[in-house]
Amino acid sequence: MKITIENKDAMSVIRLADTSVILAQRLAEMCSNGLTLEEDIALSNISLDLFGRADELYKIAARIEGNKFTPDEYVFHRNEREYYNIKLVEQPNHDFAWVIARQLLHDIYAKELFTQLSTSSNHEVAGLSQKVLKEIKYSYMHSHDWTNRLGLGTAESNERMQRALDHLMKYVDELFNFDELDKKFIPDPEKLKAVWFSEVDKILGESNLKRNAVAPPSMRDFREGFHSEHMGHLLSIMQFLPRAYPDAKW
Amino acid sequence: MVTQKEFGHLWELLSEIPDPEIPVINLVELGVIRHIEEKPDQDKIIVTITPTYTGCPAKKLFQDLILEKLASKGYHNVEIISQLFPVWSTDWLTDETKEKLLKEGISPPTIGDKIVQCPKCKSTDTKMVSAFGSTPCQSLYTCNICSEPFNYFKCY
Ligand SMILES: [Zn+2]
Repeated sequence: MKITIENKDAMSVIRLADTSVILAQRLAEMCSNGLTLEEDIALSNISLDLFGRADELYKIAARIEGNKFTPDEYVFHRNEREYYNIKLVEQPNHDFAWVIARQLLHDIYAKELFTQLSTSSNHEVAGLSQKVLKEIKYSYMHSHDWTNRLGLGTAESNERMQRALDHLMKYVDELFNFDELDKKFIPDPEKLKAVWFSEVDKILGESNLKRNAVAPPSMRDFREGFHSEHMGHLLSIMQFLPRAYPDAKW
Repeated sequence: MVTQKEFGHLWELLSEIPDPEIPVINLVELGVIRHIEEKPDQDKIIVTITPTYTGCPAKKLFQDLILEKLASKGYHNVEIISQLFPVWSTDWLTDETKEKLLKEGISPPTIGDKIVQCPKCKSTDTKMVSAFGSTPCQSLYTCNICSEPFNYFKCY
C-alpha cells in the first residue's frame, strides 16, 4: 500500500499527528516500566492522550484528503521516510531523565503551537486545538514538576537531567526551520520560537539546569522525512503486528 | 416513521446508557450526546456526540452502546456523527450530576481544580497524590482529615 498525502494543509496536520503518535509510542514503552506505580500510570495516561490526539488529527487529515486512507493506515503502513514527526520525540527512553526532558521540551512546543492553532481558520483544527490544550496543561504540569525535582534533587539527578537535555537539545534547531507550509499553517511561527526559548530558559533556570549550546547533528529536516537512527527500530515494533497479520482485528 | 413525540423519548432512552467507566452517571448527563435529529423522510435518526477526552478508551464504546440501545427499541437506521466543537467541558455537568459523583465516592470537578472535597467526611482539607489516576479523567487525592484516598474528576 502506497500512502499519499496530496493537500498541503493535510500535510501540515500529518506532521502534528506524526509527532503525537511517535511520542505516544515512546511513552507506551514506559507502561509497566515506571519508577513508581503513580508514575507508571501518569506516563501511560499521557501516552493515551497523545494517541487520542493523533487519532483525531489523522481523521482531520483524512477528511481533507477525501478519506482515501484511515488513521490506522497512516500509522501502520508508512515507512520511516514517509513519517514527518520532529526527531526530538523519537529519541529513546534512555533513563527517566530522558523521558522527562523530552516531555518538557515537547510540552512547551505543543502548548504554544496548539494555542496558536486554536484560532486557525480550519474550524476542525481550531476545535481540536482548544480541546488538546486542556490535556497539555496536565502533561506540562507533570514535566515541569519533575524537571524541578530532578534539577534541584541530588547531584546525580541534576547531572543526569543535564546530560539528557544536552542530548535532546541537538534536535531542537529543526523545530524552528519553518518552511512555506508552516508559514501558511501556523499563525505566528516566530512567536512560537520566541515563546519556546523564553519558557525553556525560565524552567531550566529555576531548576539549576542550563541550556548549553550544542551542535545539531548533520541530518536533514524532519519535514523531508529524515530521522535519527532510533526511528526505524521504533516503527518496527509499532508496526509489526498489522504488517505481519494484515487482517488482524482488535 | 419517527414522530416528534418519540423524538423526545429518544433523549430519555439514551439517558439509560451508563458511562462505561463511571456507571453512576449516564451519557446524557455526561454531555456526550449533543443533538438527536430525525430524518422522517429517510426514516433515520442522526445522533451527534462529542468525545470527553481525545484519548478516552470509551470513545468507540460510546458509539456501540448508542447503536445497541436504539436498535433494542427498533431504531436500526442510525447515523452517529462525532464533532469536536463546542469542546466538551466538565462545566457542562449539572450540580445534580456532581452530587451523584460525590455520593459515589468521586470528588466532582471544581473550577481550576481549586477546592477538592473529600467524598467521605466532606472536608476540603485534601491533597493530591498523583495528577494521573485510574482513568484518564481522574486524579488521585487523599483527605488530610479522615485519611480517605479518593478519585477526583479532573476539570477539563
Ligand atoms: Zn475526609
